[in-house]
Amino acid sequence: MTLRIGLMSFTAAAALALAGAAAAEECGTITLGAAISLTGKYATNGYHTQNGYEFAIRKIAEAGGVKVGDKCYNFKVIYYDDESKGDRGATLAERLINQDGVQYMLGPYSSGLTAAIAPVTEKYKIPMVEAEGASRSLFNKGYRYLFAVLSTSEQYLASAVDLAALMAEKSGKSPSDVKVAVAVENDPFSLDVRAGVIEDAEGYGMQIVVDEKLPRDLSDMTAILTKVKLVRPDLLVVSGHSKGAATAVRQIAEQGVSVPMIAMTHCEAADIVGNFGEAAEGILCSTQWAETLKYEDPIFGSAANYNEEFKAAFPEYADRAVPYQAAQASAAVLVYKDAFERAGTVDDREAVRDAIAATDMMTFYGPIKFDETGKNIAKPMVLRQIQNGQYNVVAPPEFASHELIWPRP
Amino acid sequence: MSMRKLALYGALLLLTVAAPFLFPAYQTQLATLWLMIIVALTWDMTGGQMGYNSLGNIFFYGTGMYVGAVITITLYFPLAEYTDASRSETFTFTPEMYFTGMVLGTLGAGLFCALSAYAIGPLFFGLRGPYFAIGTLGLAIAAGEIVSNIDILGGGQGISMPVYGGDFEVFKKIIYYVFAAMGVVLIVFLSWFYQTRFGKAINAIRDDEEKAEAMGIHTLRYKLVTWAISAFFVGMAGSISAFQLIHFEPLETAYQTINLGIFMVVCVLLGGKGTLWGPVIGAILFHVFKEVTWNYLLGWQWVALGALIVVIVVFFQDGLMGWLRHRKPEWFGIRVESREARASA
Repeated sequence: MTLRIGLMSFTAAAALALAGAAAAEECGTITLGAAISLTGKYATNGYHTQNGYEFAIRKIAEAGGVKVGDKCYNFKVIYYDDESKGDRGATLAERLINQDGVQYMLGPYSSGLTAAIAPVTEKYKIPMVEAEGASRSLFNKGYRYLFAVLSTSEQYLASAVDLAALMAEKSGKSPSDVKVAVAVENDPFSLDVRAGVIEDAEGYGMQIVVDEKLPRDLSDMTAILTKVKLVRPDLLVVSGHSKGAATAVRQIAEQGVSVPMIAMTHCEAADIVGNFGEAAEGILCSTQWAETLKYEDPIFGSAANYNEEFKAAFPEYADRAVPYQAAQASAAVLVYKDAFERAGTVDDREAVRDAIAATDMMTFYGPIKFDETGKNIAKPMVLRQIQNGQYNVVAPPEFASHELIWPRP
Repeated sequence: MSMRKLALYGALLLLTVAAPFLFPAYQTQLATLWLMIIVALTWDMTGGQMGYNSLGNIFFYGTGMYVGAVITITLYFPLAEYTDASRSETFTFTPEMYFTGMVLGTLGAGLFCALSAYAIGPLFFGLRGPYFAIGTLGLAIAAGEIVSNIDILGGGQGISMPVYGGDFEVFKKIIYYVFAAMGVVLIVFLSWFYQTRFGKAINAIRDDEEKAEAMGIHTLRYKLVTWAISAFFVGMAGSISAFQLIHFEPLETAYQTINLGIFMVVCVLLGGKGTLWGPVIGAILFHVFKEVTWNYLLGWQWVALGALIVVIVVFFQDGLMGWLRHRKPEWFGIRVESREARASA
């Protein structure tokens, strides 16, 4: 696994070097640092994240690099493997800053790792633009140097609760009759997803009939599903990153759990369509980004264009949906490019931080504008349903391209 | 103590004090090195000197983290509000609040862990050999799972400690010197402790517990006190780690059974069980080995670590100190008559 990732990132880096060498001979280099999960339970998403960073770096180099004054720069990233462990991530962040002299950081994968690294970057006053830490708990610590391009996690499955209420009304019931089952990983991200769902469900007066935590290695949830079968909820919510999604889809099919509406996170990252086919039909998936959305920017073109070129650059994604983890990682690099150009300097870290804070831009990934806590408040989440093996946007209404299929087949 | 020994200890102490200035970029790694030395030495108190191989000493590390954090926070703010993930309020600590919390929290963590070792000890010291090892391991794993489900302690989110408001370089030196001071005190204490009657008694327990009992040693009391002392130091180290790491969560950081929980045993095996300096040397070698492989053999680091453990277990069963003692007994004050001398006599 690790070896494969190593080889792939090596090929990606080599391709980048070749592409960049001709165009950017006279360009300088801006070194970014990132500790990401190349092994451990978040390895899949760490890999998507790294690919997203590398793809953006390549595209920016092809477009002439980062133009600061009359000079141009290309990005380079120093990576370390945090093994999906917080204390390791914090140590590596220190190493990047202290020993490798990194002045600007990209985020790791997951809210937990971001929570571990953010205090370090904060102490050194090193800006960190992150794309994979969505928990609200990151944005109430008063951090000045942390910026997140993605929507926060309580919004992930809010649309699913709205849909469940809507469906209840359509079938002549009241939203307060809806029974909700929640099974989440015990980590900052999933707990925040759960908090959002429970808050919204209680707003409708729904009943929470199951509220369980997935076991720590995320490899077995049969006990929870047995309970779900008994209480027959109208909505089942699962959140546990890629591994949790894969376990849930597999075991829901194995145990023949039939729930009219199932909503989860990380469907694309776990490639549940490719891995489980039929079993994934009808599942609702929250996504930060979809290639069908009408966003665009000068570097990547439209969202659809990003999707196509990313697949061309990394052929292993050819037969599957490009995970939004990769797209938002690319968007984070784009934020840096924009900020460096507006700041007009690569050395004055405070000026660059202020430029990042003032970001207000449209990208292929969606609009990006930070509030004073550093989170992106401009971009909404969308909810897609797997219909005939395709991810189709079904909510919120202003983005929906397809009707919801309900109940789930 | 001979002049040579005195000079050697003086030089070591000087190096300890000067290290963060000599290697400013490595201050955090050096602080972690002292943490490794502390946990290795305390593990050896029961594992090497008393013959009780605990796999659960990480329990005191994790508990120390939580106790230190809880004391620091509750001194000034309501804990439930502080650990609420969706809070919008920001809590700030002045340097005075920060240091008061650090001192009281760390002492509290040490005391709490010592008391809990004394309280739960009778349950575990009825177990011998592998049963004791697995029993204590179960304690650490269970504690992690329980804490990860207590919402007021942040649950699976963990706790983010207050961030030190002042200069960060100063902060790193403080953490280093606190760990180093704790380590030096522990070494001095143990070098005295192992010479006392008490020290000899726990050695007797290791060598033959029944005989020790028959000689009138109240073995349970000795075992409890030894474990409690060891827990006291580990708990304090855990609390300082919480301040150092700032953010920690229960399963991977606090009760990290498969990392630090095992590393402390590997350090002792590498350096030599049942010796004073073995765990120290083992911790240094292990830490250096780990940092090097984790940097330059990325992807293979765990394979390298596994290979190291195999090599130790197969070729250096007594650790480096044991191997040295065998090769150079005179360095340890052991007089061996040479064959020639015996033959001529």
